[in-house]
Amino acid sequence: MSFAESARPAGQAGGFHRIVFTGKASEYFGIWIVNVLLTIVTLGIYSAWAKVRRNRYFFGNTVLLGRSFEYHAKGLQILIGRLIVLGGFVVLNIIAALVPILVLLPTLVVLIALPWLVAKGLRFSARVTSYRNVRFDFVGGAGGAFKAFILGSLLAVITIGILTPLASRWVARYVGSNLRYGGKAFETDPKLGPLYKSWLLSFLIALVGLGIIALLVLMNLSLILPMIETPGLLTPEQQIPLIFSAVIGYIVLFATFGIAGLFYKAGVRNVTWSATTFDGQHQLMSDVSRTRYTWIAISNVIVTILTLGLMRPWAAVRMARYTWEHTGITFTGDVGELFNRIEAQGSAVGSEFMDFEGFDFGF
Amino acid sequence: MKGSILASDNAAIAAGEWHPAGSSRSVEARLIERAGEIAAVPVGGEKPLAGAGLSWVEISGRVGSIPRRVTFPDGSIFETWDNDGVDRYLAMRGKGGAGLVHWLEQFRLRLIVIVLLAFVLGGAVYRWGVPLLVEVAIATTPPIVPQLMAKGTLEALDQTTFSPTKLPDDRRKDIADGFARIAAQSPRGAGAYTLNFRDGGLIGPNAFALPDGTLVITDQLVTMAGGDTEMVVGVLAHEIGHVELEHSLRQFYRAAGMTGLIMLIAGDVGSAVEDVLVQGGGLLALSYSRSAEAEADRRSVELMAKAGYDPTAIARFFALLEEKLGDKSNTNILSTHPGTPQRKKDIIDYSRIISGQSDPDLQ
Ligand SMILES: [Zn+2]
Repeated sequence: MSFAESARPAGQAGGFHRIVFTGKASEYFGIWIVNVLLTIVTLGIYSAWAKVRRNRYFFGNTVLLGRSFEYHAKGLQILIGRLIVLGGFVVLNIIAALVPILVLLPTLVVLIALPWLVAKGLRFSARVTSYRNVRFDFVGGAGGAFKAFILGSLLAVITIGILTPLASRWVARYVGSNLRYGGKAFETDPKLGPLYKSWLLSFLIALVGLGIIALLVLMNLSLILPMIETPGLLTPEQQIPLIFSAVIGYIVLFATFGIAGLFYKAGVRNVTWSATTFDGQHQLMSDVSRTRYTWIAISNVIVTILTLGLMRPWAAVRMARYTWEHTGITFTGDVGELFNRIEAQGSAVGSEFMDFEGFDFGF
Repeated sequence: MKGSILASDNAAIAAGEWHPAGSSRSVEARLIERAGEIAAVPVGGEKPLAGAGLSWVEISGRVGSIPRRVTFPDGSIFETWDNDGVDRYLAMRGKGGAGLVHWLEQFRLRLIVIVLLAFVLGGAVYRWGVPLLVEVAIATTPPIVPQLMAKGTLEALDQTTFSPTKLPDDRRKDIADGFARIAAQSPRGAGAYTLNFRDGGLIGPNAFALPDGTLVITDQLVTMAGGDTEMVVGVLAHEIGHVELEHSLRQFYRAAGMTGLIMLIAGDVGSAVEDVLVQGGGLLALSYSRSAEAEADRRSVELMAKAGYDPTAIARFFALLEEKLGDKSNTNILSTHPGTPQRKKDIIDYSRIISGQSDPDLQ
């Protein structure tokens, strides 16, 4: 194939290298529609194998230095993992139903088990991923997952979003600094300053959204107040502008919070990746444009819905191409030399067959 | 293949790179078949790096045009972008080439058939598959489950909201006698139902049925009805209808089934579209519970007629609701219950039909 010739010799020298995404919408369309069809026909059972084909396609088309990443999980393994989690959940609920005192048991167990499942899921995702025949590994535990995901989101929620950057920092550190490749560590430590800088814009966008909703309420105050005092006073004709405003308010809320979330997500990605090093010397980088990223995400959803899902493969490939091609790594020293030295390290090898997926977590 | 001159008994398969087991070190190599064995030999060399019989090597399945891996028994791998070369070799050795799934996935005109099949089967699963699964689940649910669900719910409500009834004994007896008359008309028999009186507290005027046949009516509803016992019995007949038709279990299984199906295709539709689907599913569930209310209304009319009561007694209850709560709203897609004026009309129409009068809409 012509690609083999053009891709392989790509820069063995050190320096900066961008990731290339070689997936094509037309090619993925076939994989996607067959996945959907077989998932429907098997009432969902095939979805485990569908996930394997989808991930193999996306990983296999993510290329660094002419070599692609690889996804190694097996469909049966994912299916068994899902059945274990589902089975545990059903058993818990049956126990809770049989012994009414234990009504809160499922919630309690889920809260305790969730960090463990997240850690397990991250480890699974890392261990079924390889680059140049060497697997990734993840060494984070349940305690770290509890702090990063549960404590972090709790803090973010009770401070109405003001501490979100702190939570993002915890997540980035937990995921980034526990990642290993061939026994060598990644190190991530995004600073709060840049995180808050990208958070501020999102916060303002969310405020604008809330402002519009407050305005809508004020405009309809003459109708809302009597309705609260004496329900049923309004004629259906009077209710129409009220329902209209409620629908607009819902859309505004969805749109502004969606845009704010996407802006923030792109900003955090840039800050986090650019604050990550591999083996203490090779610097990772992300330079996605927040506006462009948000535009791609929103137009993807609109196009997907308007085409009854048929443009979803195009949308998925478009997003993957944009984000990966704005990601790169600066190697210090000779790359050939570097990859001559990297060897798989004990724990990550082969043990994925004893692993199960736990809580699926995109990695 | 790079013009290398191959010995006559060497069949070239593909060019690529070879990795020792667990190492990122790579050697430029080609895959050949020699003397019944498949082997990786270095470019410009003849001594094989690894080799084994075809049944001893593992060749990864084809997904799009991502690189193929050939894993040798010693754990070393050969990786190539030349999918066609590998497929040609596999086809020649009677191993089916790239496989059936890949054949289906190719971007050819026949994909249209798969797209149509996916839509038709998706609709069929929604229309018949989910309801069928719900029926199977209901049929296999042991009676202990609804009993436990009901016991837990009533205990919880008693502890938090309800207090013992304050109705006079003779008023309760009137209602209980009327209830026994209609319960005897239910195919399950009067023994399948138990009527409980409670002071509703915050819940106010209400009546509800638990899936095991436990019915609860609040003092507030009885008081609101004034002296009209027949009307209260009409409401209880509606609740018996919910129990007979197993609405609560059915609704629970339906919601669980739909959520499960959406989650299984989530990876193939993206998280934003998944959210939209879940919201849409919620709206559909509301409209489903509206049809359940209409079914229970009709059952009330039937039971009341059989027991020799006024079949439209429950319509009087809706008239009272309109008067007291000012509910004049028309049926609205966002509401759980059909608008009360509409329900009243449907009840009167239905009672005419079952009493042998002609359908008023056809007059
Ligand atoms: Zn009802």
